[in-house]
Amino acid sequence: MGRYIVRRLLWAVVLLFLVSALTFVVFYTFPSADPAQLRAGRNPNPQQVEQIRHALGLDQPWYVQYGRYMKALVLHFDFGRSYHYNSPVRKQIFDAVGPTASLAIGAAVLWLLVGLVIGTISAVRRGKLIDRVTMTGALVAISAPVYWLGLVALYLFADDIGKFKIFPGAGSYTPIAQDPWAWFTSLILPWTVLAASFAAFYARLLRGSLIETMAEDYIRTARAKGLSERRVVLRHGVRSAITPVVTAAGLDVGILLGGAILVESVFNIPGIGQLAYDSIRNSDLPIIQGTVLLGAFFIILANLVVDVLYAFLDPRVRYT
Amino acid sequence: MQRLSWTVVAALAVLALVVAGCGSSGKAQHGGTVQILNTAGGVDSLDPGYWYYQTDTKELGITQRQLYGWKPSEDTPTPDLALALPQASDGGKTLTIKLRPGIRYSAPLQTRTVKAADIKYALERCFLPQVGNGYANLYYSEIVGVDEFKSGKAKEITGITAPDDTTLVIKTKRPIGVLATGGALGEPCTTPVPKDYAAKYDKGKTSTYGEHAVFTGPYMITNDGKGNVTGYEAGKTLTLVRNPNWDGASDYRPAYYDRIEVKGGFDASVAARKTLTGKGLLSGDYAAPPVAVLKSALQSRRDQLSITSSQGNRYISLNTQVKPLDNVNVRRAISAVIDRNALRQTRGGPTLGTVATHFIAPNTGGFEDGGGVKGPGFDFTSSPTSNLAVAQKYMKAAGYKDGMYHGPAILTVADDESPAKETAEAFQAQVAKIGIKLNLKEVPHATMLSKFCQFPKAKVGICPTMGWGPDFFSAQSMIAPLFSGKNITASGNVNSAMVNDPKLNAAIDKAITITDPAASNKAWGQLDKQVTDQSYFVAWLWDNNVGLESSDVQGVPSKFNSGEWDLAFSALKK
Repeated sequence: MGRYIVRRLLWAVVLLFLVSALTFVVFYTFPSADPAQLRAGRNPNPQQVEQIRHALGLDQPWYVQYGRYMKALVLHFDFGRSYHYNSPVRKQIFDAVGPTASLAIGAAVLWLLVGLVIGTISAVRRGKLIDRVTMTGALVAISAPVYWLGLVALYLFADDIGKFKIFPGAGSYTPIAQDPWAWFTSLILPWTVLAASFAAFYARLLRGSLIETMAEDYIRTARAKGLSERRVVLRHGVRSAITPVVTAAGLDVGILLGGAILVESVFNIPGIGQLAYDSIRNSDLPIIQGTVLLGAFFIILANLVVDVLYAFLDPRVRYT
Repeated sequence: MQRLSWTVVAALAVLALVVAGCGSSGKAQHGGTVQILNTAGGVDSLDPGYWYYQTDTKELGITQRQLYGWKPSEDTPTPDLALALPQASDGGKTLTIKLRPGIRYSAPLQTRTVKAADIKYALERCFLPQVGNGYANLYYSEIVGVDEFKSGKAKEITGITAPDDTTLVIKTKRPIGVLATGGALGEPCTTPVPKDYAAKYDKGKTSTYGEHAVFTGPYMITNDGKGNVTGYEAGKTLTLVRNPNWDGASDYRPAYYDRIEVKGGFDASVAARKTLTGKGLLSGDYAAPPVAVLKSALQSRRDQLSITSSQGNRYISLNTQVKPLDNVNVRRAISAVIDRNALRQTRGGPTLGTVATHFIAPNTGGFEDGGGVKGPGFDFTSSPTSNLAVAQKYMKAAGYKDGMYHGPAILTVADDESPAKETAEAFQAQVAKIGIKLNLKEVPHATMLSKFCQFPKAKVGICPTMGWGPDFFSAQSMIAPLFSGKNITASGNVNSAMVNDPKLNAAIDKAITITDPAASNKAWGQLDKQVTDQSYFVAWLWDNNVGLESSDVQGVPSKFNSGEWDLAFSALKK
């Protein structure tokens, strides 16, 4: 297992290099704003724009710029400076990791709790009223656009612009180190909104998987041994049926750690998603590059964690 | 009848402004905290050498003093670090400015006073590529020695000297109106920057002085007192507190608040609603709230809106080097066929501005000489709605016998965000009436400018979602950058219509040298008529700025800063 993890980590480094190179190529291939022009303000003369281009190294071929970027990153962990804000990228990205992690992990806990409970009940009570009601609710939750759901949540429950002033609204995010209670309350609405569609999806996923599992021979054997139905479902059914849920959860959490753009935007959570969105609109390559690398890192890490978890969930899986 | 209707419109507009001004009733309270809610990234840079846009001036201008400043309701500069307006000599080519003594910097230079040499360095560093200033070339390039400094042949600008600590002398190659009147000397490039402190930060690829700036204004960004700014997270937060070294007695600004907190990243609709329903809040970096919020606020919270002319305009750029737009009559036909009222509706209706009849907007020098509200009287600009008959007349004059264009679609590039996106789509439907089909591409704003509309090689025919505003009240900054052929550049080309008429270029050059304000306004007004006649840029709206304030806040809009809140004059209500 140890060798397997080391090998995967080395591959992760290779993948990160590939992703970073790809981002550079994409930025140069597709239309985008000219960073030197953006930096030069509204009415610069061409000489000044060229001086800025030279100073930023933008007049070099992309592979030279890429080489310089990677050298600074690897040797000094320096992500460069934002073209738009002229401030260090590393600080901006690291400041944004906390809010995004708070949002993604909290929402994941919520959607897994809700999704697993509803999925299990629905599968066990297949065709009954509770199954129909929960699955209809799941369909609605999956269909509702997150941005719209966020605005509705704010207009209904935010303590500033809401009809019922219950929860802190947009822009209330507080770091956990600063005030844990304020952190918790400021994330209740964002967690709920982000978790809604995921919970619905996971409920449907587990329901389908569990219904299939409960028809397996070994479930019948477990029942024949006289185990309680609760034990049969939870110990033997859910444990086996949960594998696809773990795969999906790993990937989803990984992706969300790279930024939950819509929820972060509506609730004004200063996370990676919002930073990435702003940088794309500003053609701010150093930040785009940083956020993409971070997103890729989390996805690769999540994949690794999922693969390792398989070994614990399914005794048949062994890595060498 | 036409005259009467325009008079009524003008009277209503004035009345609206008066009502808006009266909306902020109550007495100003010294102290307290105000929060500003931003939606679009906030300030561009902490470096005064980089500041240019309204948000920079609004949210950071109060941390510094310049040679001249602007009281919120006045359109002439007020001496700030300077004791009086520049004294001209040598036929207007030498300007002498006496400085106020004893103005101190914030920590870590708290024992140091502002010297004339600090302003000399501030002006010089505005030409450094690592500072990235966007207007120095426009206003200061005629100063003696600038060319040598820019090319690296000289280490300083010889035309700027500081014979003693309180005297600054600027020598120019010819008289320059915007320098003689003080207007261009009220720009952030005259914010004092001590060379011995800042030079080390001005080295390298990009200057980092902004992160270590020292302050002279009533407020400062929170910092550690050792030259490191701590109260700023790009795009997220900016915290200003009182500058203990500020000399209030010599500053024209009252500075009521104790603390100003800027928060970024809000959804525009949420920010607008929060401001209107909350306490201690002012709108930030958005020119107008979303249409739905605005409509509701106009009905139920009118006294929390400030509607003022921004002095800017919205225009459609027609590239004179792309067929069929090289024909002046086709351009006039487009000007006639567009429905300016309908275009305005896409931004939110009459609250968002007055339908434009020429390029220079109200409250800017040259506006009246350019035709005032009524306009210069051209039949292709006089109707606020579409005039198909006039449009077809010009199409026929352009050689299209049936008054319809039958050529290929014209490459058109527009902003992809509301409300500009809707404006572009409305424009597309309007020009179809004379057979003009558009190959419309909608892209992010920054891309639209730097890769298409301001990039001549892209050969974009029409850019329908453009806007421009003056830097101060001189029309020079409205006309010269956009219409002079000398400003055509390979990239960052603001003359997107590619206008290059030698006679027009010469007339612009001449107008720049006029130092008498009345004569200057007349000259720019005449030029406005000429460019409107040629329909290079079809202005369709003179913009209003719509500010929002909480019910306990007394916001004061700044006429100089496009109607944005002047935070040094705004206050909490008593």
